Amino acid sequence: MKRSTFISFVAPSVMSMLILIALPLVAIVYLALYQSYTQMEIKEVKTEVPLFGGMTREVIRNVPQPVMDDAGNPIQVWEYVGTQNLKNAIDTEGLSSAFNADQNINSTRSFIRALFDEIRDVDFWSALEFTLIYTFLTTPIIIILGFGLALATNRLTERLRGPVVFVTLLPMIVTPVVSSLAVYWLFVDGGVIAASLEAMGIGKFYFLADQFTIRAVIVAYGVWYAAPFAFIILYAGLQTVPEEPIEAAIVDGASPWQRVRYIVIPHLTPLFSVIALIHIMDSYRVFEPILVFGSRVFANSVQYLTYYTLVFEDNIHKASAYAILTVLGVVVLLIPIMIRTFKDQKAGK
Amino acid sequence: MKIKQILMATALTLAPLGAAAECSIEGTGEVNVISNFFEALEVLSNEMKNCGNDNLIIDTKLTTDHKEETNKAFAAATSPFDAAAVANSSITLLQAKGQLRPLNDLVEKYRDEYNIEDGMLIKFGDEVAAIAFMVNAQHLFFRKDIFEEHGVAVPSTWDELLDAGEKLKAAGIEHPYGAAFGNSWELANEYVNLLLANGGTLFDPATSDSTFETPEAIEALKMMGELYKLMSPNAMSMDFGDVKRQLQQGDVAMAILWGNEASAMDDEKESTVVGKVGFAAAPAMTAGGAPASTFWWDGYVIPKNLDGDPDLTFQVLMHAMREETVKANNDITLWIRSAYEPGEYTSAITDTVVNGAPPYPMNPQASLAHGALGENIADFIVGKESAEESLADATKAYRSAAQEQGLLK
Repeated sequence: MKRSTFISFVAPSVMSMLILIALPLVAIVYLALYQSYTQMEIKEVKTEVPLFGGMTREVIRNVPQPVMDDAGNPIQVWEYVGTQNLKNAIDTEGLSSAFNADQNINSTRSFIRALFDEIRDVDFWSALEFTLIYTFLTTPIIIILGFGLALATNRLTERLRGPVVFVTLLPMIVTPVVSSLAVYWLFVDGGVIAASLEAMGIGKFYFLADQFTIRAVIVAYGVWYAAPFAFIILYAGLQTVPEEPIEAAIVDGASPWQRVRYIVIPHLTPLFSVIALIHIMDSYRVFEPILVFGSRVFANSVQYLTYYTLVFEDNIHKASAYAILTVLGVVVLLIPIMIRTFKDQKAGK
Repeated sequence: MKIKQILMATALTLAPLGAAAECSIEGTGEVNVISNFFEALEVLSNEMKNCGNDNLIIDTKLTTDHKEETNKAFAAATSPFDAAAVANSSITLLQAKGQLRPLNDLVEKYRDEYNIEDGMLIKFGDEVAAIAFMVNAQHLFFRKDIFEEHGVAVPSTWDELLDAGEKLKAAGIEHPYGAAFGNSWELANEYVNLLLANGGTLFDPATSDSTFETPEAIEALKMMGELYKLMSPNAMSMDFGDVKRQLQQGDVAMAILWGNEASAMDDEKESTVVGKVGFAAAPAMTAGGAPASTFWWDGYVIPKNLDGDPDLTFQVLMHAMREETVKANNDITLWIRSAYEPGEYTSAITDTVVNGAPPYPMNPQASLAHGALGENIADFIVGKESAEESLADATKAYRSAAQEQGLLK
């Protein structure tokens, strides 16, 4: 192929990758290096607050007011702060003080406890804690569950398969915010599950009342939501398993389990890697159940933290720092799988 | 848990409310107004829309995400919104950043035409920054029938409320009390109410540094912990809308709610306790002290960077806020206009304010302090750490946020 032809073929992809992937990444790195605010000075300002019936209450206070430039516009400060935003996000100061506090603490055990307390107190680390728990719990469960569902569906008659596949895919079709809300309403006071358990005489359960149950509900929701994804990929993969080795195995007297273990699973290995890869990326960005369940004192996520910082603290710079940490986190988690896939491909050649 | 509110809000039918009086504003252009979502704002928004015609396009956006959208819009080169509804806390940063258009000239021009009362003007110094239309305060809602049945008196202090709660609990009412602890902003608001009533402060106005770690603050926070024991264990996941429903469905015997929700207790479409709910001033921290509540005004501001015509926008706002609107919708809230006739649903707000509840602090530092507290005090309430540790964490969060906003060196 001529060089110019090649370039004209790839140029659109390269351009869109630059604009849609590279540019936002560069932008968040850039934003994370700066800080911006309106310059303010504290002035004594008399404020009046209305009551009702025409009454007002007068209050005199020191209120920050904008500093104006010569043209009468508020002065906007935009300053380079380097890695300060990132350092604030991961709280390097708090971490080092926790590490250096060991002079006062005698045993390793109490040192680790102090360190853990410190870590749990910082927004980022506590968010990371649950993000990782969620990722590492849901990934194996959805693969096993999805595989089981795929095997079971594969044994159904042709006529049943279509409806079963459709019903299994439903959790994926519903918008995550809506399904999170549906789950929330099942478990809240007087919700279907809470009320049914009580009616059955099992007693009152408060699923949203402590860390363990609320986390369990969110993980269960994650499994329910993502298992269909693993299912549909593995079900498609099962259709490609060659007949001959299976028949040969039956002739040799292999049990159904042995057929799955020694023929089907090796055949589907690349698919397991793909599912793990995509699901880890997805679950590291868990957001909707955290937003809807609202109980961030028990479960927080890195993605929610980014959103919170941007929307409620109105601080795009710190939010960018969290976004960088999210990207880094995903990359770190994916490295082992990437290496493995790369090795497999090499061996395949 | 805003999404929940948005879904609930969309589920409600937006029936046209109020008197559809003719609007005589002449002008050409577009007026876009953003506001929060509650009944009084719906009424005003419908009044504004009545002014729309072929030449004058009026668009209102009611959303619980109004604060974030307003902050972004007013900081942009030109704002897509020509006016926004704000309150004590949300006006502070907008004003401190110099983003609000002073309204003095427009007030003078239209004072007689729309009978703009002095009590409606929110002033920073001589500058009129906003025109307010209602005031609001949180106060006690209680079940008259349950209180009577168990011989419980309406509590006037928080200690009495704890006693009343214990008594009701002993009488078999599992969760006597309800308050919005599930949303971090609302949680902090409950705390600020107790803190200010206990003589505490949020920050030092001279230095802008926080004053979270005081004996008054610890006492107020410990009261939150005691109250949580009277609430549903799920309370840390329940926001204001959930608490309102708890009371309407008879799940709790008393709650602290916003005063403008009082009439909703007697709305047969959504309440199962019509006629059974009584209203009283918020309890005080100390006997004879000020009620633990802050009072709030709601009003409209016009940004400096609007893309429409400020004069036209102002007329549309003033038309909506005119006396007829107040008269036609007297009971839905506590209107500021003197045409308002106090009714049974607002007397608890006036009691709360007259008994000395302070206005919510109109300083940007207070907003930052509020945010920092909301994200940190829950750890104490659920028993993860001590009150002192939670407040120390909040101090740290406040200092970092204040430095990032340039308020603290």
